[in-house]
Amino acid sequence: MRSRKPRAVAAALAATLGLVLTACGSGSTNQLGSGGQDSFQAPVAENPSFEPGTTMAKLSKQGSITVGTKFDQPLFGLKGLDGTMQGFDIEIARIIAGQLGIPADKINWVKTPSKSREAYIEQDRVDMVVATYTINDKRAQRVSFAGPYYNAGQDLMVKKDNTEITGPESLRKTGAKVCSARGSTPSEEIKKYIDPANLVLFDVYSKCADALRTGQVDAVTTDNVILLGLVNESGGKFKLVGKPFTEEPYGVGITKGDTEFCQFIHQSLTKAAQNGTYQKAWEATAGKVSEENPKLPELNTCS
Amino acid sequence: MHVITDNLSLYRDGLVTTLRICLYSGLLALLLGTIMAACRVSPLTPLRAVGTSWVTVFRNSPLLVVLFFMAFGLPELGINGTYFVFGTIGLALYTSAFVCEAIRSGINAVPPGQAEAARSVGLGFGQTLSLIVLPQAVRSVIPPLGSVMIAMIKNSAIVGAFGVGGDLFSVGENLTSAQGEAALPVLIGVMLGYLIITIPAGLLLGIVERKVAIAR
Amino acid sequence: MTEVSTDTPMIRLSAVDKYFGALHVLRDIDLEVPRGQVVVVLGPSGSGKSTLCRVINRLEPVDSGSIALDGVPLPAEGRALAELRADVGMVFQQFNLFAHKSILDNVTLGPIKVRKSGKAAARDEAMQLLERVGIADQADKYPAQLSGGQQQRAAIARALAMRPKVMLFDEPTSALDPEMVNEVLDVMTGLAADGMTMLVVSHEMGFARRAAHRVLFMADGEVAEDSVPEDFFQAPATDRAKDFLGKILTH
Repeated sequence: MRSRKPRAVAAALAATLGLVLTACGSGSTNQLGSGGQDSFQAPVAENPSFEPGTTMAKLSKQGSITVGTKFDQPLFGLKGLDGTMQGFDIEIARIIAGQLGIPADKINWVKTPSKSREAYIEQDRVDMVVATYTINDKRAQRVSFAGPYYNAGQDLMVKKDNTEITGPESLRKTGAKVCSARGSTPSEEIKKYIDPANLVLFDVYSKCADALRTGQVDAVTTDNVILLGLVNESGGKFKLVGKPFTEEPYGVGITKGDTEFCQFIHQSLTKAAQNGTYQKAWEATAGKVSEENPKLPELNTCS
Repeated sequence: MHVITDNLSLYRDGLVTTLRICLYSGLLALLLGTIMAACRVSPLTPLRAVGTSWVTVFRNSPLLVVLFFMAFGLPELGINGTYFVFGTIGLALYTSAFVCEAIRSGINAVPPGQAEAARSVGLGFGQTLSLIVLPQAVRSVIPPLGSVMIAMIKNSAIVGAFGVGGDLFSVGENLTSAQGEAALPVLIGVMLGYLIITIPAGLLLGIVERKVAIAR
Repeated sequence: MTEVSTDTPMIRLSAVDKYFGALHVLRDIDLEVPRGQVVVVLGPSGSGKSTLCRVINRLEPVDSGSIALDGVPLPAEGRALAELRADVGMVFQQFNLFAHKSILDNVTLGPIKVRKSGKAAARDEAMQLLERVGIADQADKYPAQLSGGQQQRAAIARALAMRPKVMLFDEPTSALDPEMVNEVLDVMTGLAADGMTMLVVSHEMGFARRAAHRVLFMADGEVAEDSVPEDFFQAPATDRAKDFLGKILTH
């Protein structure tokens, strides 16, 4: 289904090489290639010390961490057929784990679909969730968010040769039919731009992609992150319009009120942004399809 | 339960969409089902074969597969249309097989002497069926036909999943996943919506049944 | 129908064979019924007499042989057959009146839908026919509200409304209570007197003696005897017929 293009392999190799050159003193013990071509090596801190009683001290001491993520989101959180984890969310989790002194192979990945993310955190079934997890007030009542580590946004995906649709404002005048997922936030948002009669809803985006391919709809809309995955799978048939019209700040979900852990994640992210690891992580994953070159967004205050 | 009262207009729109799907599908299914039942009791072998194949295909295919074919198969073959039309036709095709069998069982319940007498008077096959057999079959057809129609109303929830949206069930999905409402009260509202359609439909059938019974 | 000479038989069966599965119900039947003749068909149960009646308007198709009505061969299923059936009146043992229609509607249905008569004309004629069979006062009732004898007379009126060339009666009195038999037979006798060509499957000796020109005795799918009523009843030629008559007369 997901064909490796030579260009992608080259990019991955370049990223890996770049990392090897820059990540001096990281003391990585990971064997190259274990995570597939996508995987670059997040630096792992040696014997970091934390204040006793904190989440960091506990995790660091036990030498492993349980991370909730998506298993089905290409470029962000995807479990490959060979069982390896790939994607930007995965790399963000590895960066944080690395700062706790936990190598990539000591991370336990748990599948957390959108519906169950809060519950998994509340029930302590995961230590953190990095799963295209949009920070919002409702969710913040049940969990705390570190980050955001990336600002996603709702965008449009069209056929490669479509020049009429240039952004959400162009939808109404072209009478375009737009597809989205039933019950999703983007499907509500797009109603501001089109007649309800032109909104087509399916349970999954792959059906929207099929409808776009067969000409049943003219555009597919949701977070650019999800669209990127679809563009990646389309074999060059689709493209992103590239004008996000909402802000979906992705955060790392942790236990409600664990301020110390939140601050630690912020430090880890900042460090990764400063030493280039953040950019490398992007380039090795979503950057292979996206033309965007994101910077670490301004972080929220931990509370 | 404030979810239901707060979103009454959403529920109402859902009810209207579901009703529209059911009305169009129901009428088309009745028409197709009656034609196919006529084929199945026809003296002409090719027509009987058409009727039998129709029932075999649509009665034995999961509705989901029929709808999948309509929504994704037809566009693949270059046939584009709105999902509402695709879904409504798909549901009608599927339901028509059951309508056909309900009507056929009703036809079989009419004593064969009635058709023989009609043919002896010189009525053709179509006249015999429409003037003599079907009017008498109606009475025994109403109860099973009612079950078929009520099943169809409930099946319309599946149509909503094939790009149609806006029906009762989709409204429920929307409230739970996009607006994060608790599932139970939302679904109770959805269920009430279906009951608003199905219970009067059942009562109506009862009235029709009594009316037809008196006319005999 | 085109002009036909008067000596063309109204009903003609040639070498007709009919099977129900392995059962050979009609064996090589040859029969000619001239115009205006009244034929009574007798025979033990299972002799094929009802089937003989039903093949004539093709309610049962035959397996081989040919059937012609007034010189016209019976067409296969379709419009032509329907047209031909309109000329053949059929009266059933179980009456088979249309249960969802009034007596009047039962009688006018054929003329209106098949003969394309006007509603008013069809109604007038129907009322005359109902008068003739003596149930004009029942015209607006439904079949289930009538006695068996009244239903059968209505059925005869329904058949006559088509102005048939031939009337076929398939055991018309067998399902009737004894006290109602005569009211039906009287109507049939009247018809015979008017010159209608009739083929009557019946065990009614009185009717056969009174109205029939000819008696057929059937046994095992064959016409065993073909004679006039007096001869048949007084001196049946075959042992089968003697045996049969002995049974029904002592009964």
